[in-house]
Amino acid sequence: MSTRQAQGTTLFTALLVLIGIGVVVQLWLLAASVDAIMRHEGGAAVQAAVGSLAVFIINGLLVLYVFNFDRKIKRD
Amino acid sequence: MAEDTKKSQDECFECKKKKDARWREDFPVGWESDNYVTRREMVKFLALGSLTIAGANAVVAAIPHVVKGSEMPKTRVALASSIPVGGSQLFSYPTAEDPCILVRQQNGDLVAYSQVCTHLSCAVIHDEKENALFCPCHHGLFSVAEGRPYAGPPTRPLPRIRLEQQGNEIFAVGVEIG
Repeated sequence: MSTRQAQGTTLFTALLVLIGIGVVVQLWLLAASVDAIMRHEGGAAVQAAVGSLAVFIINGLLVLYVFNFDRKIKRD
Repeated sequence: MAEDTKKSQDECFECKKKKDARWREDFPVGWESDNYVTRREMVKFLALGSLTIAGANAVVAAIPHVVKGSEMPKTRVALASSIPVGGSQLFSYPTAEDPCILVRQQNGDLVAYSQVCTHLSCAVIHDEKENALFCPCHHGLFSVAEGRPYAGPPTRPLPRIRLEQQGNEIFAVGVEIG
């Protein structure tokens, strides 16, 4: 395994953990927004939805970054 | 004779091998490769999961704007003149299955709370002598001014009913959960 490939493996593992944490946060936000709806507080649910969308955008950017890195390694 | 037996055994072995090969052609995926998940696949799965959860969150947030009647109703609960200082009146809000209690404090202000005790859901009653809301099941006491528990097993405050006064009429307009 080359150094670049080893770097790629480490990068994939690290981003996998980060994205996993993001998904857990999103699940928490979903539970919080359902709770807010049950208490008839629509405002809190909207804030949770915005937060969840922000986490998804971060996750998406991380995935794009890691797949671009992967493509570069394959080209080299 | 012995040679013939050995030959037939070998043939059978060949037959078995052929059968195995056929079976493998029909089911070419092995257990190991079938259960193996790469990091790439896992990242894709998590990204799709993230998208799904964000979508679900957006749907949940949109529910109160789409479904009519999810806002708290405005319900007339009592006439202000009918409740003396230190007196109380029972009513239901937001539905007929949600018992509430309206109390006029010593300073003349009106406050209302859910009558359901936050410990084990017994109905609280107004104790005029103690100036508290009293749960007879486990002797829990809540302050009338804020609905906070100060004695007995309850730890959470009573949900407060938002009130509006229009002339002599008192309306319940919402619920605040402490």
